[in-house]
Amino acid sequence: MSAPSRSKGGLPLFQPIRDGWNALVARLEKTQLLGRSLLWYITGWRLGIIALILAVIYPQMFDDSYVLAGCIIAIYVLLALGLNIVVGYAGLLDLGYVAFFVIGNYTYAALSRGYLVNSAKQVVPVPVLSFWWLLPLGALFAGIAGVLLGAPTLRLRGDYLAIVTLGFGELSRIFVLNVPYFGAANGLNAPPAPTVHTPLGDVDFGNFIDHTNFYYLTLALVVIVTLLVNLLRNSSLGRAWVAMREDETAAAAAGVNLVRTKLLAFATGAAIGGIGGILNVALVPSITPDQFTFNISISILVMIVLGGIGSIPGVIVGAIVLKLFDQILLNNLNDYVHGSPLVSNPGAPLHFLAGNDFNQEKFLLYGLVLLGMILLRPQGIIPDRRRQREIKEASSVESASAVGVLAIEESGDTLAGLGSAPDVTEYVGPGSDAQGREG
Amino acid sequence: MHILAASSFDTGLFFQQIENGITLGAIYALVALGYTMVYGIIELINFAHGDVFMWSTIVTLSVAQALHIDHVLGGFALVGTLLLLLIVGILTSGGLNVLIERVAYRPLRRAPRLIPLISAIGVSFILENVAQLWKTANVIAYPVFFPTNAITIGSLTITYLDIFIFVLAVALMVGLNVFTNRTKMGRAMRATAQDPEAAALMGVNINQTISLTFLIGGALAGAAGVVYSMYASSVYFLSGFQLGLIAFTAAVLGGIGNIQGAVLGGFLIGIIEALATQYVPNGLAWSQGVAFAILILILIFRPSGLLGQQVPDKV
Amino acid sequence: MADGQTLLAVNHLTKQFGGLAAVDDVTLDIKRGQIFSIIGPNGAGKTTVFNLITGIYKPTKGEILLNGRSIAGKTPDVVLRNGIARTFQNIRLFNNMTVLENVLVGQHAKLYGDLISVIFRPPYYRNAEKRALDRAMELLAFFGPQMVALKDEYASNLSYAYRRRVEVARAMASGPQLLLLDEPTAGMNDSETAEAVGYIRRLREQYGVTVLLIEHKLQVTMNISDQIAVLDYGKKIAEGVPAEIQRNEQVIEAYLGRKAATA
Repeated sequence: MSAPSRSKGGLPLFQPIRDGWNALVARLEKTQLLGRSLLWYITGWRLGIIALILAVIYPQMFDDSYVLAGCIIAIYVLLALGLNIVVGYAGLLDLGYVAFFVIGNYTYAALSRGYLVNSAKQVVPVPVLSFWWLLPLGALFAGIAGVLLGAPTLRLRGDYLAIVTLGFGELSRIFVLNVPYFGAANGLNAPPAPTVHTPLGDVDFGNFIDHTNFYYLTLALVVIVTLLVNLLRNSSLGRAWVAMREDETAAAAAGVNLVRTKLLAFATGAAIGGIGGILNVALVPSITPDQFTFNISISILVMIVLGGIGSIPGVIVGAIVLKLFDQILLNNLNDYVHGSPLVSNPGAPLHFLAGNDFNQEKFLLYGLVLLGMILLRPQGIIPDRRRQREIKEASSVESASAVGVLAIEESGDTLAGLGSAPDVTEYVGPGSDAQGREG
Repeated sequence: MHILAASSFDTGLFFQQIENGITLGAIYALVALGYTMVYGIIELINFAHGDVFMWSTIVTLSVAQALHIDHVLGGFALVGTLLLLLIVGILTSGGLNVLIERVAYRPLRRAPRLIPLISAIGVSFILENVAQLWKTANVIAYPVFFPTNAITIGSLTITYLDIFIFVLAVALMVGLNVFTNRTKMGRAMRATAQDPEAAALMGVNINQTISLTFLIGGALAGAAGVVYSMYASSVYFLSGFQLGLIAFTAAVLGGIGNIQGAVLGGFLIGIIEALATQYVPNGLAWSQGVAFAILILILIFRPSGLLGQQVPDKV
Repeated sequence: MADGQTLLAVNHLTKQFGGLAAVDDVTLDIKRGQIFSIIGPNGAGKTTVFNLITGIYKPTKGEILLNGRSIAGKTPDVVLRNGIARTFQNIRLFNNMTVLENVLVGQHAKLYGDLISVIFRPPYYRNAEKRALDRAMELLAFFGPQMVALKDEYASNLSYAYRRRVEVARAMASGPQLLLLDEPTAGMNDSETAEAVGYIRRLREQYGVTVLLIEHKLQVTMNISDQIAVLDYGKKIAEGVPAEIQRNEQVIEAYLGRKAATA
């Protein structure tokens, strides 16, 4: 009935890569340095330290276009960490995360320049707040929006919630597009981040020729948010999130207030999205509604799925990989391909690529990554330990299940285990009954 | 700005918008049926359904272009073209939908509900972006070949195209109704939607039945795609995303999983949207927002929709 | 309040799904310190009564009073905070959390889950966590040293009988006045069943908890219960001490007779 079981899931095609990887890990484990294996030095929190050191020296090694790309990558790392709280910890699929990014962006743009223009094209004075005030204020506004949006909708079933959040995401764009104060389709300009005077000299965060200072600012925020998210994860609240994700009914019966716990996930994730938004405007000087499409929400979701849903190092790596690709690799690829004699000469075999901008294929690739990861490696590049267990357990339960609805038919790959709690229990239920000799 | 406040109520305009709404609603209903049937049988929001619809519009556009159709046709040429385009559209969307189910949903059928939804989003992205690579990101004009004549009743204008769309949609819906209620395969489909386990024990081939559901849902979206291009006189690679969300709203409004509900919801949403465009200040800009607002309100206050039944959660 | 006074009063409780009454005008009176059993054939509405008491379903009609205060229609977490904890028929543990974490989640109502406490971890947060940990360890110890040894094991790796115990420990962690056990010995062999009966009694002695039980095994209910109510087709058809139930014609007809016929 079931398809022949593959070793650990995944394609045979990648077997040599897996073998090579395992051999490398084994060698690192054997090699000793100061009484520890090399592997020890590059795992766990030590890997975090190494990554941080690399991130700190990065601007010293590359020119400013790369530093600018680094800033954008860092902003998306923040967004991915924020969405991961909602999707990864609380198990709520939020397809409209861009809404909170929009709030951050427009908070900074509206409150940093001293005026707005109304529908009659009159200038309306608006109080000016400094970047440093707007940073927490943007987080607060987005967090409040998260609560306001969440309060009525979080009782919905997981898939309905996903669509409703998508609706909110689109509404946020339609809203700023149609409100004259927000510049409608022309959007708003905003001043760059300011210069800070310190006893040691001025630090200019808004320098558009040298983004190094701004880069360190975003990096510092990434570090702070990472530590914060880690604190949340290992707390009573983090336990409640996991419990809720695994089995909503049982969590409620154990005393977890579902609405409150979901709202906290929503609000925290939203606040981080708001911070990302503030940083974004301070970096890009002008924003328009058409930048804030569904594509942004999905890009961030792709980062999480790619890296490993629920895993902090996973989503950081996912965001870096995807944005590195988007910000650096694609442009280099364009330059390389367009400069190649096989392409540039008229009549060359690949000349049809001359006018091709690989940025156009970007979202196609995102779609492929999303589908491919879900089908072949749902736990992501760096899986969260608990999530990985959920996936394994769900597939083993399925193979043990004799009564499951679909056990009747041939099974393809059996991958499961992510997603919101009631779903898990619904699907795992019959299997665990079978295991548990239930009468 | 404020049309409602500025002018006295214009009955003719009102009925004209109702008529527009019915035509639009017929198209929404056809697409909504696909959402509702798939949800009814495997509890999945087929996120790619709107894009399946869109693919019918771009493939039939290519056929029309290949045939150099660029003027109004009549007689056999018109009937032949319509038939050809409908067949192409139906085959494209129906086949695509079956393929998607096989590749992206079937392996995940036992996974928690949100996982196939993520995979469906991936498929939607792929369909949209391949379409964009093929047809560019521009709105492309669709040739006008259907007679543009209209009947006038008082101040109300009903175009032949509106009548054709309505008649075609109703014919397809009646056909679907006959199929699900009178044929063996239709009964198998309803049985599987009710209780797949029991249906399988009674000898229903679940996989085949699910494929058939995707085929029919896709086919209806394909037919909708053909008439929508004629109605809008344009084709756009994101049309499926926008229209799909509206059609999904229609399915939820009617009560997801309920076939009559999807039809009712489709017409209602069409009419509401047409009226909103007319009577809400700056309505056109907000019209998409109106659909979302309706969706959010229904989901919050009556998630089972107009015709759906409240089902207790399994505990 | 002393033993013998009403802890939970269920008055004319009714729950309809569509047109069907899953629970139909059921009245129960559970006294403090009792072990009270609900029995009845499959589909009699026993678990629905539990779901109504614990707030998973909202009653169509009727009252549920805990210590005289209405808890009908409250959400499950509020019901738990009021002092009613439960287990589930099909064991609903958090499978990818450890045994200890499961029991800690059971105390969530006593912990601080707000952002300020969680991020800044002031002394009151850490003290509450410490107390919760102590209580969890104490409850695991209640179920024996093997249970303590398994504290860091993932719940899904445990044997069936142990999983049942973890679920009871999780429910007891909140310090409930009333413990609802839904078929605590289902699927267990004779010796496991005897152990389960033993710990249910010990729970009452040691923690003074009142127990409301759904049980299929008549030898268990007859042996352990102070009072038994019999449901059939959502209606209560009899109530009394075990000896009375064993003699009740209607019960034998509706439940024992039918079960004997199908067995």
